[in-house]
Amino acid sequence: MTLLEELAQTLQEGDLNDTTGLVNRAVTEGIPAETILKSGLIAGMDEIGRKFQDGEIFIPHMLLAARAMNAGIDILKPLLAESGAKPAGHVVLGTVKGDHHDIGKNLVRIMLEGKGFAVNDLGIDVQPKDFVDAITEEVQIVAISALLSTTVPFIEETIQTLESAGVRDQVKVIIGGGVVTQETAEKFGADAYGQDAAIGAVKAMELIEALN
Amino acid sequence: MNGLERIITALSLKEPDRVPLYIHAINEKPIILIAREHLEGLPDPEKTFYDMNDNEKMLMLEALFLVHEKHDIDGFTSLEFGHEERIAEDEVRDAWGVVYQLNPFGLPVAKHHPLKEKSDLVGFVPPAPKKENLLLLMAARERFRDTKAIFWMMRGTFVLSWRLTGMENLMLKMFDDPDFVHSIARMTYEYNVQMLDLLVEAGLDVLIIEDDIADKNFPLISPDQFKEFINPYNRKLVELGHEKGLKVIRHSDGNLWPLLDILLETGYDGLNPLEPQAGMDLKKLKEYCGDRLCFLGNIDCIDLLPNGTQEQVEETVKQAISDAGEGGGLIISSSNSLHPGVNPDNCIAMFNATKNYGRYPLNRF
Ligand code: B12
Repeated sequence: MTLLEELAQTLQEGDLNDTTGLVNRAVTEGIPAETILKSGLIAGMDEIGRKFQDGEIFIPHMLLAARAMNAGIDILKPLLAESGAKPAGHVVLGTVKGDHHDIGKNLVRIMLEGKGFAVNDLGIDVQPKDFVDAITEEVQIVAISALLSTTVPFIEETIQTLESAGVRDQVKVIIGGGVVTQETAEKFGADAYGQDAAIGAVKAMELIEALN
Repeated sequence: MNGLERIITALSLKEPDRVPLYIHAINEKPIILIAREHLEGLPDPEKTFYDMNDNEKMLMLEALFLVHEKHDIDGFTSLEFGHEERIAEDEVRDAWGVVYQLNPFGLPVAKHHPLKEKSDLVGFVPPAPKKENLLLLMAARERFRDTKAIFWMMRGTFVLSWRLTGMENLMLKMFDDPDFVHSIARMTYEYNVQMLDLLVEAGLDVLIIEDDIADKNFPLISPDQFKEFINPYNRKLVELGHEKGLKVIRHSDGNLWPLLDILLETGYDGLNPLEPQAGMDLKKLKEYCGDRLCFLGNIDCIDLLPNGTQEQVEETVKQAISDAGEGGGLIISSSNSLHPGVNPDNCIAMFNATKNYGRYPLNRF
């Protein structure tokens, strides 16, 4: 097993110290930060996403791996900045107004970060206007979560607010959560739908590729 | 048969005179919309209970009772009241120190958790359950006498634990500090044991262990974690409930198939609310464990009750009865709370269909 394969493996087990230890070792061995990120941390998170989808692991395990990943990223951050490496994309994420469910949204953040995205997480109960306010020049994706039948319509309201603020064309919108479906996405004019966090991150990647 | 007899018979896996009806939980708005034709002066349906004055609260209680009487609902759910205090315009705090955010889209949501780690336990004094917080149970007992089964919603080990600690924190502590997780679970268990004594004294019939543990795909924690940290404590409550002569049912949202064998050997009498969207198919359940478990719920409150037609509701109820009614062990109820999004006419259609098509011996339609 190469060092980075070992890192990807260790990350999945979620041990914080082992993960940071291996990241540090990889850095000392002169492996570029971007390679450590992609072939170590991101590769590990991809595998975590797959196992989660298949019901092999559950939310707690995913949180554990995410914590290890974040500790690893913290080490790499200054190096990535130095080398001028850019995140895979910039995402604004939140749960719609009125809705206080955040576990699914948090998993989406984890998987997006696991793919190398920079995520601005606005939290729960996010007003349409606050989504708009969070859209800076670099933001390419708005990711919206809603779990309640009564709050799903606020996805549409949020998208309309993006339109009337004149920023809809600048961003791609991806939605998901509980009762949200592909049809919801089509009906509300969202650009993509993700039935789970791992698929959501893959779709976000595709949206970015289409943009470039 | 009266409602109490119907419910107990169904929970005992025998055939009552008809399939019983039950409302597990219901928000302010549907109470008001369903009771409106029987009672004047009800508050604005958008108003939350917390914002009502005493007079409006009394009216709501009357409305809730009327919903059960006018529609022959056989079981009545009671729950704790008065253990929360308003601390801000949009916040309440319970006796444990958990702070909840009020919101117009449902029940208050826990957002401040007092026990994040072991050191927070130092000097923490858990509350003792209070008899006066059983007001709803006592009022229902008084009102219905022995004509309806009185249920009590007892929050189970997982829900109480995550409210105290924060859900994601609790999940991580299961790896980092298992002792802490057990200490929390034990504390909630001890509270519930004391509560149980009060409940039995007040005349309870059916104890609900209310402990959401799954989403529509999977359990929220792994089956092994469930077996280690949660189920042993709930199991002791089930045993204690049975010792005291109660029926004990389990409530959890979501797909429970991965935990079903564990739940079966825990000894519950019934399972609720059986979300169709989460794969909790009545027919499959009846085949798998209909001889061991009574089913309460399954009438879809996500799509059907909010958006369906009354005919569709009727068909769904008929189907449920034909899938799982044979031999008893079925209680018709919605697949979760009657939340603010449900159409009141569809709820009434569900009640009527059960009464029209649920007579034993069942006709094959
Ligand atoms: C835990 C929970 C709660 C907790 C939330 C705690 C928290 N911090 O999040 C609490 C107790 C607070 C709660 C409250 C309520 N809840 Co709730 N809750 C649940 C439960 C049990 C699990 C939800 C969950 O966390 N799932 C785990 C995550 C991982 O799944 P997920 O959110 O679907 O996310 C995955 C995907 O959907 C996707 N995804 C999610 N978001 C996004 C976004 C994007 C962009 C993408 C790509 C993908 C994506 O990725 C995730 C991971 O794979 C579900 C039951 C169920 N069947 O799902 C009910 C459920 C969602 N709740 C429900 C209801 C009705 C309520 C209440 C209204 C109850 C009430 N009567 O008051 C309140 C509403 C409060 C409010 N204003 O928000 C209903 C919704 C029904 C409906 N369609 O309207 C459900 C389905 C239960 C039911 N069957 O009735 N709830």
